[in-house]
Amino acid sequence: MAIELNVNGEVKAADVPGDTPLLWVLRDHLALTGTKYGCGGGYCGACTVHVDGSPTRSCQLPVATLAGKQIATIEALEERHPELLQVWVEDNVAQCGYCQAGQLMSAEALLDADGALTDAAIDAAMSGNLCRCGTYGRIRAAIHKAAALRAGA
Amino acid sequence: MKTFLNATPSSAHPASPVNLSRRHFLGASAVFGASAVLVLGVSLPAASSSIRRVYQPNLFIGLDTSGRVLVTAHRSEMGQGVRTALAQIVADELDADWAQVQVWQAPGDAKYGDQNTDGSRSILQNYDRLRTAGATVRLMLRQAAAARWQVPLDDVQAVNHEVVHTASGKRLGYGAFAADAAALPVPANAPLKDTAAHRFIGKAVPHVDAADIVLGYAEFGADVRLPGMATAVVVRCPWLGGGVKRIGNKPDEAPGLVAIEILDPAPSAGPVFTPLGGVAVVAEDTFTALRIAQGLDIEWTDSPNRAFDSDALRAALREALARPGAKVPGAERGDVDAVFQAGQGATLSATYETPFLAHAPMEPPVAVADASVAKKRCVVWAPLQDPQSARGLIAERLGLPLENVTVWPTLLGGAFGRKSKPDFALEAVELSNRIGRPVRVQWSREDDIRHDYLHAASAQLHRAVIDEDGLPQAWLQRTAFPSITTVFSAQASAPAPWELEMGFSNLPYQVPNRRMESAGIRAGARIGWLRSVCNIFHAFSANVFADEMAAAAGRDPIEHRLAMLPKGGTLTVPGMQPPPGHALDIGRFRHVIERVRKLSAWDRPRPKGTGLGFAVHHSFRSYVAVVVEASMVGGRPTVSNASVVLDCGTYINPDTCRAQMEGAVVFGLSLALHGDIALRDGAVVQSNFHDYPLLRMADAPPTAVELVPAQGRLPAGVGEPGVPPVAPALVNALFAATGERHRRLPIRV
Repeated sequence: MAIELNVNGEVKAADVPGDTPLLWVLRDHLALTGTKYGCGGGYCGACTVHVDGSPTRSCQLPVATLAGKQIATIEALEERHPELLQVWVEDNVAQCGYCQAGQLMSAEALLDADGALTDAAIDAAMSGNLCRCGTYGRIRAAIHKAAALRAGA
Repeated sequence: MKTFLNATPSSAHPASPVNLSRRHFLGASAVFGASAVLVLGVSLPAASSSIRRVYQPNLFIGLDTSGRVLVTAHRSEMGQGVRTALAQIVADELDADWAQVQVWQAPGDAKYGDQNTDGSRSILQNYDRLRTAGATVRLMLRQAAAARWQVPLDDVQAVNHEVVHTASGKRLGYGAFAADAAALPVPANAPLKDTAAHRFIGKAVPHVDAADIVLGYAEFGADVRLPGMATAVVVRCPWLGGGVKRIGNKPDEAPGLVAIEILDPAPSAGPVFTPLGGVAVVAEDTFTALRIAQGLDIEWTDSPNRAFDSDALRAALREALARPGAKVPGAERGDVDAVFQAGQGATLSATYETPFLAHAPMEPPVAVADASVAKKRCVVWAPLQDPQSARGLIAERLGLPLENVTVWPTLLGGAFGRKSKPDFALEAVELSNRIGRPVRVQWSREDDIRHDYLHAASAQLHRAVIDEDGLPQAWLQRTAFPSITTVFSAQASAPAPWELEMGFSNLPYQVPNRRMESAGIRAGARIGWLRSVCNIFHAFSANVFADEMAAAAGRDPIEHRLAMLPKGGTLTVPGMQPPPGHALDIGRFRHVIERVRKLSAWDRPRPKGTGLGFAVHHSFRSYVAVVVEASMVGGRPTVSNASVVLDCGTYINPDTCRAQMEGAVVFGLSLALHGDIALRDGAVVQSNFHDYPLLRMADAPPTAVELVPAQGRLPAGVGEPGVPPVAPALVNALFAATGERHRRLPIRV
């Protein structure tokens, strides 16, 4: 069936069964390969996107449930949060880089949320994102730095 | 479609902010001309309509008339920063402007020399030749300028991307001499810089792929898309060597289904890199292939491995330790048995056990192939650690000449040794050739965990008689594990000498009576190498046993360890890696211990219930000492911080070295606290991250890293040597915190 999705502010159409997870529609049908497959079970967070501003595992999300919803992916993060990308590069956060799109999408949601940005808050918000290379310490530091940049500190 | 596969532009200069428009620069495909573009299967970017002349005086450096420098990366990038490091070496000796340097990823080809990105040796093997390459081009640019300006060569300098004649004030960019230099003979003996004059070597530079990664544009194996490409998911037999007997419910057709293909099984013993076989579901998209594959009811043929059980292997390994093994030749000193029988001093005896581990890179194995025997052509894009050996195996499988096969390594979404084995690329090649379309084979996470080349389970026995200072007077070491050689041979079982040289037969401690023995055993599974390989279990048992000796004598573990070492000198270590052999420098070994004592504030008292644990290990020619601070919180081992000191000789990018140590702590804690693969009835029990967990952010400790300044020494390994000391440091810390000694991994509480 033809499904219309609003991705990064653009309406896109894909002809797929309605139970196809958003992840595979993004990657195979919309050529948005920045969102990664890591486990297919919602355990690793590599496929994290935003749906109406909430970080969501796109491997668990049938596209039929997404009518009228705003989907945001890594490909447009530069427009929303350039400071996140800047600190990620300056601090050399990524190693292999494969999980980083998901990490950044979770970090974006944390920066957009209210509340004090403590290490504990970061750990809690980022606990669903696995990194086999072990970049967690740099991610934690980069989120603090991005928040400070954004606050104009 | 993104057009930057194999042609990723480098990031901005380290001093400037991220310039995101840089990625729209032309990449190698444009610079090297239409042929490369066709190979990539992408269209030529409009801006490249005038292809400039490229001056490529050697394999590793290209220079075009605009001054752009193109560095060839012939090693695979898996997060260790090798693409950046290779470019730093070349750019430094070329005295290039970093902003004008781009990195091009080479396909597998013997002309580059060894491309096997494995064994933590990319810099060791390439440091001198890449310095020479950069210096040679720099000299040729000076020669070209001296000829054009009619001035003596000595009066012409090449500095920061400009050729300068000071007396006349003439200065022109490197690009202005690209064509002239291309006509010159390549000189020998170009002068190298003094290391003190290095601008990029030894300096922190952001990775060249960093911007593409955060933009979501970086191209991993999983991201390659070709026109007309189908996607395959393969259902493999749960036990090694089983084939397809019957498919109970094979669909004749289904929307999006392209084909269902039966692939032959691998040999049940000595499979090498042969694909495992099974049922391939080829579909128009990934989800269709996954869904149909999951619904198949397949009956498999038997294989001897169906009886394999990891608990039975564990019992067999323990049994093997109970009797004498094969002596390590040349390692015996004095008479261990005589000291044991004399009954003087305290006898300590302990057995250590470690389980099978899966690599679990975040990107599961994946490969794209466009293969046709009829058309005598095959092109593969895949996250491969060794594209050259993959190319040879593909050519052999298809019966094509080597030159008709092209293998492009993409970025690797983690590898840790898994992607040295090209079985997944061979699957894509086979399927593409059969169905006559480009095929991408996508492994699910379940496929990855269940069908890995497993890190070997192992057991070690250490028995020692110690004096009142805790120093060993006699020390018997035994190790038993299924050898990596069993994957290459149906008969082999004994550990290879190079496996024993990973932290077993090359310990630097003084002991007058010593014997080392090993025992091999075959496992009903593929055994592979995982980041630091046998060093993982050998460093674990040796460091925990040393800690037990110190504890038995009531001594400080670091004081005790220093006392176990000679005061200085070297230990000759036979080596598998060229240059052959090298000396373990006792002074450097002692130095990292002393430095980690300081870095961790070892002597500062900690609260009751908090313990410090220490471990040190030499591997891949590097020296790493680790201190971990840990306690039990809510019944769980909790690490509050880690300190790491690394001496890797000459280093290229200190920030990469630090990142690798930080990552090694996470990798080491993952295997200490979680990693455990079990097999029942020949099949791996675990399947995904819920039952094969990895460390998460909340459990990752702050990690302080100190890099020993050792510029001028031989470059040594960085990617692997941080891992081995982490697990024993944690076990030793928990002993200090609680008095409980964990001799089996993962730690069970």
